[in-house]
Amino acid sequence: MDINKYLTVGALTRYLKMKFDSDTHLRKVYLKGEISNFKAHSTGHFYFSIKDETSKINAIMFASNARKLPFVPKDGMKILVMGRVSVYEATGNYQIYVEDMIEDGVGNLYVAFEQLKEKLSKEGLFDPKYKKPIPKYPERIGIITAPTGAAIRDILSTIKRRYPICETILFPSLVQGDLAKDDLVKKIEMAQNYDLDVLIVGRGGGSLEDMWPFNEECVARAIFASKIPVISAVGHEVDYTISDFVSDLRAPTPTGAAEMAVPNVADLQEQLKQYQVRMKEAMHKIVNYQKIYFESLKTSYVLKNPNAIYEPKKQQLDLTYERLRTIILTNLERANNHFTMLKQSSVLKNPNRLYDPAKQNLKHMIEKLEMLNPLSILGRGYTLSYQEDHLVKTIDDVKIGENLQIRMQNGIIHTKVLDKKGLES
Amino acid sequence: MKKENMKFEDKIKTLEKTINELESGEVDLEESIKKYTEAMKLVQECDKQLKEIEEQVSKIVLEDGTEQDFSIEKEENTLD
Repeated sequence: MDINKYLTVGALTRYLKMKFDSDTHLRKVYLKGEISNFKAHSTGHFYFSIKDETSKINAIMFASNARKLPFVPKDGMKILVMGRVSVYEATGNYQIYVEDMIEDGVGNLYVAFEQLKEKLSKEGLFDPKYKKPIPKYPERIGIITAPTGAAIRDILSTIKRRYPICETILFPSLVQGDLAKDDLVKKIEMAQNYDLDVLIVGRGGGSLEDMWPFNEECVARAIFASKIPVISAVGHEVDYTISDFVSDLRAPTPTGAAEMAVPNVADLQEQLKQYQVRMKEAMHKIVNYQKIYFESLKTSYVLKNPNAIYEPKKQQLDLTYERLRTIILTNLERANNHFTMLKQSSVLKNPNRLYDPAKQNLKHMIEKLEMLNPLSILGRGYTLSYQEDHLVKTIDDVKIGENLQIRMQNGIIHTKVLDKKGLES
Repeated sequence: MKKENMKFEDKIKTLEKTINELESGEVDLEESIKKYTEAMKLVQECDKQLKEIEEQVSKIVLEDGTEQDFSIEKEENTLD
């Protein structure tokens, strides 16, 4: 016998509990029945059973949920509950953990509401990313509601009081009864053709059945499809409809919707005043800053002491002048020294030294010239023969019978050619 | 002319932008005087627009798509 085959009660119970908890059908159960054995514990939890003709289930509703109930449950009451079914380990009993409870009668609508809400939520129709911003200063507002009654009166009077510049266009619609949903859809679609900044869709307070059209899927989808931002305003503060979830903004009441749709002229005028104050202050600051800057310029060293601009130049000029003077003086002195040196040179003191050699040279030259003077050889007996002015160098220069002049050392003889005879060489 | 046609919202936006610029102190004197003058004009325009409000008549769009003037009082009178 294998003892390990045998489970503990705890293990079995935990296994069963795990089975219950992993079943998605049991996580959210909508259940209807009649209350019995109701007990409100001092901790605020409700303990009771829900039964019908054939069966019974234990139920617990924790204080956190029980506190929210708008009525006090009692035995025999027909109810609709929503909760999860699980196992209570200590007793091994399965039971329903009730999260919400309403009295049956309005019950069918409630279930439908929850189911549609969950369906559309899963589809993402309530996702904040689809919410369009409501313009701050609308010029035209569309209103879809009944043309008579508190809702339209509240909306129009609130808009006129706060922001009368705004145009309002009413798309009258049925807001209760079986035909209302289709009318609402039609008007929402119609409004798309108008150049509207925002669309208010709603009605005044009433019973859950009265407000039911705003819980219809087709209305929710029409609101979701609207290109114009939609403010939903159905009933009173406590009333929530599917339209509220799917619209871009939920207003607690029709008056609230109008307040959310338009700014208040009085506030705007105050805002404009604030703008003026801020602008004046900013301007004052800018001008002041410029003034300070200007003052700082005015009192700047240069403007106060204009000399400062050219003083450095003047100084530079003085320096240059001084340098120039030094250079000139130095040059003069150098020239003077040179002159003194020259004055004392031996040449000037003894100028003969410059031309004595030249004189000697000249004498030689004269002697040389003397030697070369052709006339000087006449002294040695040589003569020169001329015909007219031409020197006669050969016998071919003259013809017989012609006159010749013969230059002697001390005179000229005029003669005539009698004969000529060449020398054999 | 263009400013006259500006939407109220655009005017407010322009004002806010100008004021922020002026407050930043990064605009030179000449430019800031220009901006200040323009903005002041815009403030006055807005203020005028708010003060000299002509109350807009509400309209109602009938089933056949035609528009009519609509007022609660009239509506209630016809109900009486």
